[in-house]
Amino acid sequence: MEDPSSRTAHDGPPGQVARGGSKSGGPAAHGGPPGQAARGGSHSGGPAAHGGPPGQAARGGSDSETDVTREIKTHFRVCRFIMESGVKLGMRSVPVATACELYHRFFECVSLRVYEPYLVAMSCVYLAGKVEEQHLRTRDIINVSHRYFHNASAPLDCDREFWELRDSVVQCELLILRQLDFHVSFRHPHKYLLHYLMSVKALVNRHAWTRTPVAETAWALLRDCYHGVMCIHHAPQHIAIATLYLALNSYGVEMPVGEREWWQVLCEDVTKEDINAVISDLLQLYDMEAKCV
Amino acid sequence: MDRDLLRQCLTHHGESLFNTLQCEQTENPDFQAVASDLAKATYERRGAGEGCSLVEQFIARKADILFCPTWRTAVPREDELEDEEATEPYAIMPPAELFMEVPFEERRAMLYRDLERGDAVVGRINNIREYGFFLTLLCAAGGLRRDIEDLELSALCHIKEIPSTGSHDDPLSYYQIGDLIRGGVKDLDRYQEKITVSLLPASLCPRLAHIKLGVVAREELPKHYSRGLRVANDTRETYERILRGCHGYHNPSVVEYLLGRAGVSDDRPPSLMRGLQSKHFHEEDFATVIRKKQSASWALKCVRSGVDHFKHGRHVEAMNEYNKALEIDTNNVEALVARGALYANKGGMMKAISDFELGLETCPDHRNAKKYLCQTLVERGKQLQEQEKFVTAEGLYRRALSLDDSYPEAQAALRRITDTIQKSIRLREEATAKETEKAKSGKTSAQKLQRPSLSPTSTTSSRRRSKKRRRKRGGSERGSQRRRRRSSKRSEEEEEEEEEEYPAPPNTSASFLYRQGFLGSGAGRGEGASEDEGSEPRGGDGEGRRGRSFSSHALAEIDGGGRAAPGLSEVQLRQPGTAGPAPRGPAPAAPPLAAPRRTSLDGGRSQSRPGRGAELRGGEGPRAPPPSTSTSSSNGQGGVARPPQPAGGGAGKKGLPANLMDIFNKIAKFEKEKGAGPRK
Repeated sequence: MEDPSSRTAHDGPPGQVARGGSKSGGPAAHGGPPGQAARGGSHSGGPAAHGGPPGQAARGGSDSETDVTREIKTHFRVCRFIMESGVKLGMRSVPVATACELYHRFFECVSLRVYEPYLVAMSCVYLAGKVEEQHLRTRDIINVSHRYFHNASAPLDCDREFWELRDSVVQCELLILRQLDFHVSFRHPHKYLLHYLMSVKALVNRHAWTRTPVAETAWALLRDCYHGVMCIHHAPQHIAIATLYLALNSYGVEMPVGEREWWQVLCEDVTKEDINAVISDLLQLYDMEAKCV
Repeated sequence: MDRDLLRQCLTHHGESLFNTLQCEQTENPDFQAVASDLAKATYERRGAGEGCSLVEQFIARKADILFCPTWRTAVPREDELEDEEATEPYAIMPPAELFMEVPFEERRAMLYRDLERGDAVVGRINNIREYGFFLTLLCAAGGLRRDIEDLELSALCHIKEIPSTGSHDDPLSYYQIGDLIRGGVKDLDRYQEKITVSLLPASLCPRLAHIKLGVVAREELPKHYSRGLRVANDTRETYERILRGCHGYHNPSVVEYLLGRAGVSDDRPPSLMRGLQSKHFHEEDFATVIRKKQSASWALKCVRSGVDHFKHGRHVEAMNEYNKALEIDTNNVEALVARGALYANKGGMMKAISDFELGLETCPDHRNAKKYLCQTLVERGKQLQEQEKFVTAEGLYRRALSLDDSYPEAQAALRRITDTIQKSIRLREEATAKETEKAKSGKTSAQKLQRPSLSPTSTTSSRRRSKKRRRKRGGSERGSQRRRRRSSKRSEEEEEEEEEEYPAPPNTSASFLYRQGFLGSGAGRGEGASEDEGSEPRGGDGEGRRGRSFSSHALAEIDGGGRAAPGLSEVQLRQPGTAGPAPRGPAPAAPPLAAPRRTSLDGGRSQSRPGRGAELRGGEGPRAPPPSTSTSSSNGQGGVARPPQPAGGGAGKKGLPANLMDIFNKIAKFEKEKGAGPRK
């Protein structure tokens, strides 16, 4: 278990702080009591390499604002890790979204200082695969993560380190479940977005539609939403409408105008303000990318 | 950058977007290229909107991705409309226009803009004239979802567009006012707003070709229309309520289905984040690739430890390690080769061979695999030879040579086995010849060709003929060293038997003379049947034979392999009339030796032989008994009652005439059992 006093204060994103205490402790949390994903494993190969340089720039005093910003940045990076791993593991969009949502909900009420975020992320990916019926093997998750942190390294041997990592992931999964009161199935915007897409497509001339990459853009925007907590702060229909709205607007697609707007029709309770809120959150995420990564 | 898209976008947003774009995309060379064109046009903002500045900012920042020509990756799939109505894999919603309450004129304009030739429409007959009927369009049936019923659009279906029913009735008589008709849009005049409909299947575009045209029942109306009716009648129905109520909405794979319909890929998903663009992903970072590499390295560890066990003699542990390695990584070449070597060492040749073969499939150039496989094949071949499975063994030797054609042991073994096979085939032929003789009651043409003076006992003569044939075959052998002991013994015995049974040759001097004449021809005559034998040994042998007496000649035949004999009997066959009995004397000695050396091409050879020989050989041709058969047949053929062949023939010979019938019966039975298996 990590001794709080040994941590160097605020010299990097919170995720890195406790790691500095141990020898670049990795996501392995076998050292702690069961269910506690405590940092301080005796592994090399943690995410230390990753969190380093960009985080240093945000070094500062211990005011909460910087803390919050730092936390947001950490979460952004970890979600980026989840998204990348999702692609490398061949995960579909919905399980990736579930993994991100699990992660955000977990850290909603839990401090980053106590739990190693990358380990939590790996376990979220594992759990999301189970929830969304796209089962992943821990071996694959560990392989991908290991390579993420140690670029171009050889795959792990079937040794103690590997088994300990695996144990950590599995134990952390139980921890996440308990933290979330076992509410792990969510309603995602994806289904709504696709149906809305079909309806909107019918309103537009078919050739104009094929010329305009609205579907890809809307899907991309939806996926990118999951880098931040906005995905749990807005209703799924609202997110779907907003991404579709943004996609259509980006290409200047002309929609028929009736008594009501198309987005009012597809979702009764969405307002322009909701849409704008979602869009502005999304744009903030894009901005953060420039700062974080 | 996609110029048209940009222009469309700019037209929508106006000049402010253009300015923002210029700010954000200054470094982008693609944008600069199109900027000049776009700058010339003036843009009035068309789309009114608050909060557009956010959107504009977004567009400006991400323009290089949004308007990149490679961004448009979606390949929409349009071809599953047939099932969709029936199975509803997703929620088929009524047209959004309905909810939006788009005004009449706009809907009408939209329809004429978007309806195309080849679409399918459903309408109700409102008027029948003598030249056709008129439809009031209710909805479109081929995927275009619009609310058009109240537009009161009228479409004409001309009488010649109605498929004839074959009878001479007026086709219009089948239709009544109020019928629901599904037809294809044959022609569309957008300016005059006239639609022509046809009931001929050819009027539909290929994508919709499965739709049946003609009268439809109310239940067959498209779902989006019937649901739309519900909405129109009940204002409380919202889009979302209908969505939740649709059966297809709750399909667990609706997301995959619709994503496939839209053509967006989930394998390389699109993203607007700079770091998640597909070009940043490398193949070696993907889970499947890493797993493969990892499995190979884990398996290799097991193999190494297995080899270590093996070297210390712990074979069981070694096998366990190899099996473990193969569980971790199936078809791992090293593990297969190591396990194969272990099998070979322990005597499990077949398993070893299959392991090596599997390894070579994956990695055809593996040196050790090839080497071990050659060795094992040869070993196995030798084992099979012991069991008299010559054909299989030969196959194995050939395979070994095909892997490594310089492998000396395989070459030698192959040669030996080829000889053995030929010999056994010859013996078999003798047996079958004898069998045929026994079986035949009537005169064969061969017999007919025979001189009457020579048929004191047809049996004897035919036997002689078969022996001649045997000798002929034996002569086709080139100096093959490996001779079956049995065959030699048998031939000795047969030769002795010949001596015993052979009546005094009618014209000994003539036979000698004839043989000389034969020699020339025999030497010159190529050996068609055996692949790798030439005529020279035969010639040499024949010459050698010149000075010998019959018995010594026969013995020499045995020693020297009786090479000339086939030639001798061939010539005899060629001139069956003249040859007569004379050359038959010396001939019979060789055939017993020659028979086992028969090769598979005997069948072909027999075709080249005229008359008698062909006839008899034809009888033997179809048979391909294994060497054991030939052995047993030559057993009986030799007329010696010796079930174990090397047994001394001397005692048996005395009892020959008495046991002969038994033996022949045994042969007959054996042959029947074997059946008429095709010869090689």
